Amino acid sequence: MKIFVVDNGGQWTHREWRVLRDIGVETKIIPNDTPFEKIKDLDGLVLSGGAARIAWESSKLGNVGEYLDKAKFPILGMCLAHQFMAMYYGGSVGPAETPEFGKMQIDISRNSPLFSGLPKKFIVWESHNDEIKDLPEQFEIVASSPSCSTQAIQHKTRPMFGLQFHPEVEDCQHGEEIFRNFIEICRKHAEKRKA
Amino acid sequence: MFNVEKFVKEETDRLRKCLHGKAIIACSGGVDSTVAAALAKEAIGKNLVAVFVDTGFMRKGETESVKRMLEKIGLNLHFVKAEDEFFAALKDVTEPETKRKIIGEKFIRIFERIAESEKAKYLIQGTIAPDWIESGGGARDRIKSHHNVGGLPEEMELEIVEPLRDIYKDEVRKIAKYLNIEVHERQPFPGPGLAVRVVGELTRENVEIAREANAIMEEEMQKAFAENKVSKPWQYFAVLLPVKSVGVHGDVRNYGYMIALRSVESVDGMSASYSKIPHEVLDKISVRITNSLGKKVNRVVYDITNKPPGTIEFE
Repeated sequence: MKIFVVDNGGQWTHREWRVLRDIGVETKIIPNDTPFEKIKDLDGLVLSGGAARIAWESSKLGNVGEYLDKAKFPILGMCLAHQFMAMYYGGSVGPAETPEFGKMQIDISRNSPLFSGLPKKFIVWESHNDEIKDLPEQFEIVASSPSCSTQAIQHKTRPMFGLQFHPEVEDCQHGEEIFRNFIEICRKHAEKRKA
Repeated sequence: MFNVEKFVKEETDRLRKCLHGKAIIACSGGVDSTVAAALAKEAIGKNLVAVFVDTGFMRKGETESVKRMLEKIGLNLHFVKAEDEFFAALKDVTEPETKRKIIGEKFIRIFERIAESEKAKYLIQGTIAPDWIESGGGARDRIKSHHNVGGLPEEMELEIVEPLRDIYKDEVRKIAKYLNIEVHERQPFPGPGLAVRVVGELTRENVEIAREANAIMEEEMQKAFAENKVSKPWQYFAVLLPVKSVGVHGDVRNYGYMIALRSVESVDGMSASYSKIPHEVLDKISVRITNSLGKKVNRVVYDITNKPPGTIEFE
């Protein structure tokens, strides 16, 4: 199983790499200007967060848009990358009404393989100034917090997921299980592609 | 999972291959640099020269205990007393990034002096992942310049080698335990020491207040662990705030500084939550600090901020 982490300049990019490595996945951190050609045979991709303000700095996301267009494998976007996904597919992103830092509770409102086996409410760790304002119609909301309705989103037809919070940090509850669920999604997809 | 045995073997092999000749290692006595020293010693033996710099920002009794510990590991140790040099360089400096950069540069100039006399080409450091992550660079924003990464001067003669660059504190502790190094239980203490636990200007008097407050907090916390009143946090310390407030001491007005107590739970330092220390313990710490520091400090507060939004240390 090979899942790489695309570095968009986040404080926790290296944590995402570490969680994957600890679970036993073959992983590596790659810059976001890596040509898609070099990563086309992966089993999955995690897109890190970062400090860029996406509404006016989307160029800092390098080739991430191309990865979204071309990937046949599942993609999990964190924070900034989660917002980028929404914007890339026609939604909008802007400064959050209430930026969230640190501890926050989320409510899961819809079934998703990413949250399989997890409680409906739990504590997550946040760190964001922006948020998704309009979600494009290809996506649906999976989880919300009292101050941000788009804590988790998924594409309706493609294996593409976005999280506003950070399952890769130790303080986030069920973080490792979310990664394990993503790995399982990648495994099933790889099997389907081979069949 | 992190494989300690494999890491130690691969890293010592790598060090053996990349170090040709003498190297110096910057030792603070903390778990990161001590583990890096042990790996380097295994790799190059007598070609390793350890340097400990007494910056004047060490905790109470620390210089002596670190010296003993490093000698016990069998390191060939250079002990540099540089207190006056550091205080002079930091006079009137209040901005935390400037403080950290001055400290980083001072360290390097001292290491260069020793490297020259020892004819060493390499500087080994106990840098761990959060140090370079938080120091920023490229697409990553700078949170703070860790003295050993973002605080390095642009021009320097030594080649830097960092065996622990890709791992975190909890993993370093596992290596320390595996190598039977006694520091594995020690709480983290930043390289700039008490210099970042005095917010704002560093005077000898302010550093002494922070040193005393840290010693009291550590002693009281250790008593509380022994009595099972609190479980051992990841890190706990006291910070001198450059804010004065009014107090009353023996019917007389007093205008003194404020001490902030900080204690956090974490695994790797990259996120943290504040410790729920019982009031009984906080009370003891507060009473002892205000009584023993007399007129200098008349107020103690407890920091209840998680990371994020706060960082663990104040500067």
